[in-house]
Amino acid sequence: MAVVLENGVLTFSVYKWSSYSSTYLPENILVDKPNDQSSRWSSESNYPPQFLVLKMERPAVVQSITFGKYEKTHVCNLKKFKVFGGMSEENMTELLSSGLKNDYNKETFTLKHKIDEQMFPCRFVKIVPLMSWGPSFNFSIWYIELHGIEDPDVVQPCLNWYSKYREQEAIRLCLKHFRQHNYTEAFESLQKKTRIALEHPMLTHLHDRLVLQGDFDACEELIDKAVRDGLFNHYISQQEYKPRWSQIIPKCNKGTGIPEINRDDINGDGDDNRPGMRGGHQMVIDVQTETVYLFGGWDGTQDLADFWAYSVQDNQWACISRDTEKEKGPSARSCHKMCIDSHRHQIYTLGRYLDSSVRNSKSLKSDFFCYDIDANTWTLLSEDTSADGGPKLVFDHQMCMDSEKHMIYTFGGRILTCNGSVEDARTSEPQFSGLYAYHCQDRTWSLLREDSCNAGPEDIQSRIGHCMLFHTRNRCLYVFGGQRSKTYLNDFFSYDVDGDHVEIISDGTKKDSGMVPMTGFTQRATIDPELNEIHVLSGLSKDKDKREENVRNSFWIYDIARNNWSCVYKNDQAAKDNPSKALQEEEPCPRFAHQLVYDEMHKVHYLFGGNPGKSCSPKMRLDDFWSLKLCRPSKEYLLRHCRYLIRKYRFEEKAQSEPITALKYLQNDLSLTVDHTDPGETQEFQLLPSALFKSGSDFIPLGFSDVDQTYAQRTQLFDTLVNFFPDSMTPPKGNLVDLITL
Amino acid sequence: MSTSNANFKNKCVTQVNCVFCDSLLCTRGMKAVLLADTEVELFSTDIPPNRTVDFVASCYTTESCKCKLRDIACLKCGNVVGYHVVAPCKPCLLSCNNGHFWMFNSDAVSTLNRLDVTGLNLLLWGDLPELEDSENEESETPSEEECISTSVLYLIFHL
Repeated sequence: MAVVLENGVLTFSVYKWSSYSSTYLPENILVDKPNDQSSRWSSESNYPPQFLVLKMERPAVVQSITFGKYEKTHVCNLKKFKVFGGMSEENMTELLSSGLKNDYNKETFTLKHKIDEQMFPCRFVKIVPLMSWGPSFNFSIWYIELHGIEDPDVVQPCLNWYSKYREQEAIRLCLKHFRQHNYTEAFESLQKKTRIALEHPMLTHLHDRLVLQGDFDACEELIDKAVRDGLFNHYISQQEYKPRWSQIIPKCNKGTGIPEINRDDINGDGDDNRPGMRGGHQMVIDVQTETVYLFGGWDGTQDLADFWAYSVQDNQWACISRDTEKEKGPSARSCHKMCIDSHRHQIYTLGRYLDSSVRNSKSLKSDFFCYDIDANTWTLLSEDTSADGGPKLVFDHQMCMDSEKHMIYTFGGRILTCNGSVEDARTSEPQFSGLYAYHCQDRTWSLLREDSCNAGPEDIQSRIGHCMLFHTRNRCLYVFGGQRSKTYLNDFFSYDVDGDHVEIISDGTKKDSGMVPMTGFTQRATIDPELNEIHVLSGLSKDKDKREENVRNSFWIYDIARNNWSCVYKNDQAAKDNPSKALQEEEPCPRFAHQLVYDEMHKVHYLFGGNPGKSCSPKMRLDDFWSLKLCRPSKEYLLRHCRYLIRKYRFEEKAQSEPITALKYLQNDLSLTVDHTDPGETQEFQLLPSALFKSGSDFIPLGFSDVDQTYAQRTQLFDTLVNFFPDSMTPPKGNLVDLITL
Repeated sequence: MSTSNANFKNKCVTQVNCVFCDSLLCTRGMKAVLLADTEVELFSTDIPPNRTVDFVASCYTTESCKCKLRDIACLKCGNVVGYHVVAPCKPCLLSCNNGHFWMFNSDAVSTLNRLDVTGLNLLLWGDLPELEDSENEESETPSEEECISTSVLYLIFHL
């Protein structure tokens, strides 16, 4: 069993610094006096590089760093910094890249202290401030505490391991260099002496076949086996997603007859097989049965009360009810919210928008319904949730289901008020609903957070039109986006439902535009707890003024573990300039008031309807239905690509000696590995014959070695192929010669 | 209303330093009290301090009036040394004020009265060249108290 290692406070001194100003001396960081503004190091300028180098009393495994702070917020706090560490000043590796919050709370960060699961020691730790909270201000560090292990019994073996590790990596670099330059004897004798492996035997085999023997067929077989054995899976997981939209054309079920259709409501004859045009509707998906449920919305002139189910397997819509109110269910509505309990096959709906003309004390009650899928019945859980200690009547709020604990969380939304009543002027100020929990079993509500303007670290700001998602594995709600009146919010926080704790992920002050989804656009988000990802489809701005210039869709993925956003795609301005039919068939047009649901089991998104925001036809709503899959390059694609690389090289080699055979090879074998429907690949393929007319004179001999062009180029191809394999199998990425500086 | 207001011409010009790190913040300071709370002593100045302070956090208003304020901090040490009136409220604009936008809290600064060219007399605000000619529409009822409100004129703001 592993021994629990003592993680103690480490002793260090301040060894070097870039600068300091006034009385803010570097050694001030050794004492923690949060109430003394002068107890800190402050740099003389914020011009890089600014740093502090700390020297440990003795080599230690440095596991974490704690930053003390001033009792109040301070502009000199480090918004961004890096920490480096190493046994010597000249050779340090990055241990951390992070930032401090501008508050008075101490913050502790784990430092990288292991390589390949093995702890390594540091003698020096360097803190490099990169950005302060006030961009024009100097950097201040108030207090530093380092935690780790300095017990020689633990550290000494780490030191031994570390020096051995460095030696081993140096030898591997040499081995790689020797082989690349064909110093065979040196290579063999070094390997014999040290018994250090340059790479996995399989790759040595590949090198042998490819570089030494030029047996390309054997190479293809080896790659084929590697792909089949899943060796490229890691590479694939690191690749970016590509979105694949496809429009769903549901089967027309005319004549099959759904029993409970109320035929009175149907005007046209083509409309009864699928839900009509609408925005502000709600959708949920039951991933077990692959059924999408759709309820209500606004068709441009009126609220709707129809309720539908789409079966993915049958590719068919079924109308559950033409008017849920007639079945003791909710009345026609839009801008409500819905969530599904997949375990118990129940759907909940809460909230709605009411036009000011129909608001009165009776209509402003917040009713709350539950639909039982198996029994096909509606239950009125509450006539007015606010009377039960729950939210008042709201719209554009968010609602999430926690099936495991049988709870519902609802957050935000604007509270509808009776503007006819003669109350004080405050009622004209919009009011927003807080964060509530609903205990389904007990049918009780509890208020978790009131609407507060982020006053304290545990406070949250209510809003409308935001995104909220429940992560079933780490049991946190994730909230971002939305707006309050005319202010668009771009903060991002999580709420731990079990610990009742708010964690700010981003306060939204960071101005890295283009790196995070833009605010002010209708965002629809989904979560994949298994992949630990949040997906965001950003559509049209509801704000008419912003709309025209910014018509675009974009799709973003937030990696929860790595805390970073990446944009999977944006349809740029060209889409607007060229409103060809083609685009509309390839992907949904930008919109708002649409719905997006995600089947995390089958990894498919479904999108329905919405408002395309056409100023010329304000009543227009959409009824198109789309699926979206996010794809990474497949194994098959990679295999074909590797084959192409090998055959392309084989052709180029052949072209030098036997142009006629080479041409045949190009036309047959090589051509087979090209996707001729892909314009990029086709174009590259068409340029290949030029190799037939090229002389191989552009080869630069490698110094003292006898390596010829063939050997050098095969080595190059080998290095390319090796990139698809996991790091643990490959030779070191670096090259010995790159260590030489001029 | 402007700096040429007779009330302020006899006031000393002070040099204002950060009390925390001693860096020079401004050479055109004027001692004054807040109209809203005459207990509060401040030093104010008319021209935006040149590269000695910068804004921190965002705008706020106090309970006393509706002026929009924003704290300023010493550029060297980052400590809050006063505030800037971003947008004055109407009552403050209409009341007697010295036309200064930039305020230093007396406990955050150390000050020194400046001397004139002879080195013998204190330098007075009346000795300083005018920043801008703005017509003196009507003479204010001179008040006993040298008063400033939390606000200043927009004209100067747009300098």
